Amino acid sequence: MSDILNIYKPLKATVEKVIIESPLIRSFVMIPEHEFSFKTGEFIELTINGYGEAPFTPSSSPLEKAKLEVTVMKAGYVTEKIHALKTGDIVGIRGPFGRGYPVEKFYGKEILILGGGCGFAPIRSLLFNLIADKDKLKKVILCYGAKTPEDCIYKPFVEELRKVEKFEIHRSVDKADGSWNEREGVVTILLDDVQVNIPDSVAIVCGPPVMMKYGTLKLLEMGYPEHDIYLSMEKNMSCGLGKCGHCMMGKYYVCKDGPVFTYDEIKDQPDIWV
Amino acid sequence: MKNVIQISESNWHLFLREISHEMNVFVPVKEGVHIEYQLYNHENRQPVYNQPLPTSPLKLFFLPVRENVVISKNNPRKNLIIGAPACDIEGLRLLDEIYLDDRYPDLKYREKRDNTILIGTDCHEIRENCHCTTYGIDPYPVENVDATLVSLNGEMIITVRTSKGKELINRYGKNFPLSEPAKNLLEQADARRSSTREQLKHQNSSLPDYAATGVLVNKSGDEIWMKYARTCVSCGACATICSTCTCFLLIDRPGFEKVRQMDACQYPGFERIAAGEDPLHKRHLRFKNRYLCKYVWKSEKFKSQACTGCGRCIDCCIGDINKNRIFMEMLESS
Repeated sequence: MSDILNIYKPLKATVEKVIIESPLIRSFVMIPEHEFSFKTGEFIELTINGYGEAPFTPSSSPLEKAKLEVTVMKAGYVTEKIHALKTGDIVGIRGPFGRGYPVEKFYGKEILILGGGCGFAPIRSLLFNLIADKDKLKKVILCYGAKTPEDCIYKPFVEELRKVEKFEIHRSVDKADGSWNEREGVVTILLDDVQVNIPDSVAIVCGPPVMMKYGTLKLLEMGYPEHDIYLSMEKNMSCGLGKCGHCMMGKYYVCKDGPVFTYDEIKDQPDIWV
Repeated sequence: MKNVIQISESNWHLFLREISHEMNVFVPVKEGVHIEYQLYNHENRQPVYNQPLPTSPLKLFFLPVRENVVISKNNPRKNLIIGAPACDIEGLRLLDEIYLDDRYPDLKYREKRDNTILIGTDCHEIRENCHCTTYGIDPYPVENVDATLVSLNGEMIITVRTSKGKELINRYGKNFPLSEPAKNLLEQADARRSSTREQLKHQNSSLPDYAATGVLVNKSGDEIWMKYARTCVSCGACATICSTCTCFLLIDRPGFEKVRQMDACQYPGFERIAAGEDPLHKRHLRFKNRYLCKYVWKSEKFKSQACTGCGRCIDCCIGDINKNRIFMEMLESS
């Protein structure tokens, strides 16, 4: 049995750098033993040797082949082990899996992105892609929300993004403190601030399930067609191959048919927000 | 060589004995009331043919309960599996669609499929919960199998159906008297086919077919599932013994190895995500999920059916849950 074709065998990667993004969120820059390509929005399974694996959408640029970055919130027993990783540790990578963002379909349009918490990770990868393609886009509006200013991730990246032509950044936190001079409230309030030509626009949502639900409802209320709302779904994606069954969402295997779906595709499937 | 041949039962067993020197030969053997596949050994109890139903589904040869999917054995012995019923052989179609898909073929599964010669048998009897014909499957395999076998009056009629089956008979059959089957035996075999099919149709005359069941399940509310799930203990036996349920857990082992272990959507936590959300946290939702998967979602996604009417899930349920009673109740109240 050839190792190259074995869909279950991870590629080894070395942790090059650990970045503390917030009290619960860390990013890990990894150098795979071979060049690794992915399209933005596709995901990988990150293996902790002998312990377990978990799915993450890379937060790094899909144009970078030598390094790969994932951003991980400590939430369960695997992510706790991932948070304990140090520079030089060896991890495993399987993938890339699934269907990512159809970036070519966004050309010539305004792109409204709604992100929450650790859901900024896939969005950052998409933003790298959109920065590279900015001549083909009308404008990109990022609306990002977190619980507190301390929970806002990718702070240096956001500052760089503010300087990029055609990119507009709006941020909110649920609970502000004295250091915060942007909006306070749930992330969907930011949608009241944006100027967007909906017929000429697509919307992208990524974040915790409750935010995905209310974000999508608000976008629909604003007049976005169901087929122009792109959602990056979170389910228990284990094998990544459409075989193990853990991530079924009605007729879809989220790992293989998604994780990026339009709302139109999944609106009739059960438990999409759970 | 003709495609249909006759060999005496005693010579057939000598033929198997010769093959067993080079291959693992599995035959159905009866132990008490149960039939189970066992490695052929001429000193063992005699195999039983044309009787339903091996307790273990055929899928276990291709997707074992637990298997390391990263390391591999060199030159594994080939398998000859004899006596698979039509329902199980039909079930392999769905497994093939899932595990041999173009994008992500599972090499372990493919290796086992390639390494196996499969000889199916007609069912000459039916069990209480057999209902293959309700789902459009005849109780005798003709496709997706290398050969089929019927045992009548001490004679075996073998019908070769693929090049793999032909090669087996050519290679090992040359030392045995193989003849064209007697006309009266072929007529008897046909008569038994018709008779079994009619018995099954009669036994399940009021049961909705596969598509109709899908419609009923899709429009069902939660009440009926809550009612029938009362005695479900989430043991997962229905999924484990099912010829088409193949969900698994991927377990990590040192050395970046992975073990694929059979899993079931009936177990709590099957769909739970790291943050804690679990769409199937209630037992009746897990219970309902399995039928939605089998009769609604899989049929939208795959060409093959996800239930072949073997009835094992009814046989095995310690909560005495009979899915067909649920469907009948749905039908009556629709």
